[in-house]
Amino acid sequence: MSFVPALHAEWIKIRTLRPLLGALAAVLVATVAFSALATADTDGTDPLFSVFFGINFGQIAAIAFGTTAVASEFRGGALRLTLSAVPDRGRWFAAKAAAIALPALAVGLLTGFVTLLVGRAALGASAPGWSDGVRGAVGCGLHLTLMALFAAGLAAVLRSAVATLSVLIPFLLIVSFVVGDLSGSAADFLPDRAGQVALHSTWDGALGPWSGLAVSALWAAAALAAGGWSVRRRDA
Amino acid sequence: MTSIDVRNLTKEHGGRRAVDRLTFRVRPGRVTGFLGPNGAGKSTTLRLVLGLERPTAGTATIGGHPYPRLREPLRRVGALLDAGAAHGSRTARDHLLALAASNRLPARRVDAVLAETGLAPVARRRVRTYSLGMRQRLGIAAALLGDPEVVLLDEPANGLDPEGIVWIRALLRRLAAEGRTVLVSSHLMGETAAFADHLLILGRGRLLADTPVREFIHARVRPHVRVRTTDPAALGALLARHGLDASRDEDGTWTVRHARVDDLGRLMSEAGVPVLELSAREATLEEAYLDLTAAEAEFTAQPQET
Repeated sequence: MSFVPALHAEWIKIRTLRPLLGALAAVLVATVAFSALATADTDGTDPLFSVFFGINFGQIAAIAFGTTAVASEFRGGALRLTLSAVPDRGRWFAAKAAAIALPALAVGLLTGFVTLLVGRAALGASAPGWSDGVRGAVGCGLHLTLMALFAAGLAAVLRSAVATLSVLIPFLLIVSFVVGDLSGSAADFLPDRAGQVALHSTWDGALGPWSGLAVSALWAAAALAAGGWSVRRRDA
Repeated sequence: MTSIDVRNLTKEHGGRRAVDRLTFRVRPGRVTGFLGPNGAGKSTTLRLVLGLERPTAGTATIGGHPYPRLREPLRRVGALLDAGAAHGSRTARDHLLALAASNRLPARRVDAVLAETGLAPVARRRVRTYSLGMRQRLGIAAALLGDPEVVLLDEPANGLDPEGIVWIRALLRRLAAEGRTVLVSSHLMGETAAFADHLLILGRGRLLADTPVREFIHARVRPHVRVRTTDPAALGALLARHGLDASRDEDGTWTVRHARVDDLGRLMSEAGVPVLELSAREATLEEAYLDLTAAEAEFTAQPQET
């Protein structure tokens, strides 16, 4: 049996669950809205991040999306029904990850370009150039996708939306905000910090825009590998 | 013909044996009742058969193959395990459409099972608005989605209203008559007796009986006769004279064991004892089951500290 039917089923599950559609809408709305607010109060030192500041809020919605999509399988015996239809657990989890990644990437890229257009309009003369801007928009889409996948992998390990969000949200809001200001340290390698380098006009840490996204991708891959291992090994 | 074969199946949960060296075969063309008290290991056994849990030892196969090896398994095997498996925010139809897509089943199968389970009028409502009985029907619809040869249902009558219980009985009988292999777990004796041809009885993870329902009841419970009369003294004397094992209940009814209505009626008529009531009492599955578990307890009971 091929991968496509399992992916099709997982895609139906995502598009028919309103909280998931709400989370995707929130990625767009939160990123654009908070970015637009931030452009009103910018000192002009980092025009690109002034445009994409709202991603700090949008990524929380992306995390909620990835978490909810996976955690919904761990309630009421849903996973048992799912795995009785697709007993190859590795294939099922890959299908789930793909069904999360594709809409997250689509919405993430849309969010990136809408944010860029809004930001350029708001900043006028001090706006970032197009080449920086497009890099930021694509980076925004990739970063949001990777955050959703990172959360998805963690949710498969923890098997609960509450547990996953209890780990990730404080981590993003507190640890990363506080430690993240100490640039040039190990904090640069935290999943959300690393991916966001792509959204800055300049950077002075060890990571550049693409190497930063690669580090985020490694985090996501590690979380998904742990999640896949957990799904395969544990009784459903 | 597809049988379920379980051999020496054992599952330990944290040192406790939930399923203990089970060996049985579930055959097609009849309804097999999987009976036992809560916690006897019925659900664990079903999860092991479906490959959802890994056995500590032993094997479970369907038509000779371990379940996880089946291609598009919903076309071969349908199972109801948890009535809560459908997400409350999804509609019943969307829930089934996702399941159908995973095994490349056409959308018309979704509409067919919704109609069959009586959910068609509410198919586009969110599952959150469903009663337990409706969720149970949705779980059964999911089990029937792939028109499978093997149907496994865990406590399907849970939460069903009386109409639903009559419906599920007829459904199970029909599935078996169509030659399918039907395994239905329950902790309710009366319910199981109403639909099962064959019984697997489980107690503390072990197989206590694997037998046709009729045979099981007849081997375990002797029939008896209920008698009521206006002249208890004459009846008592009559029964004593013929050496019949009888006792008088508080409401004045007599219970005569190891007797037949035909014999007792003639005796009473000849002796001129007035008859108000004379009826054979069918032994029930419940009595047979209690007899079995009482016998089992004698063997398994550990001496208590004194």
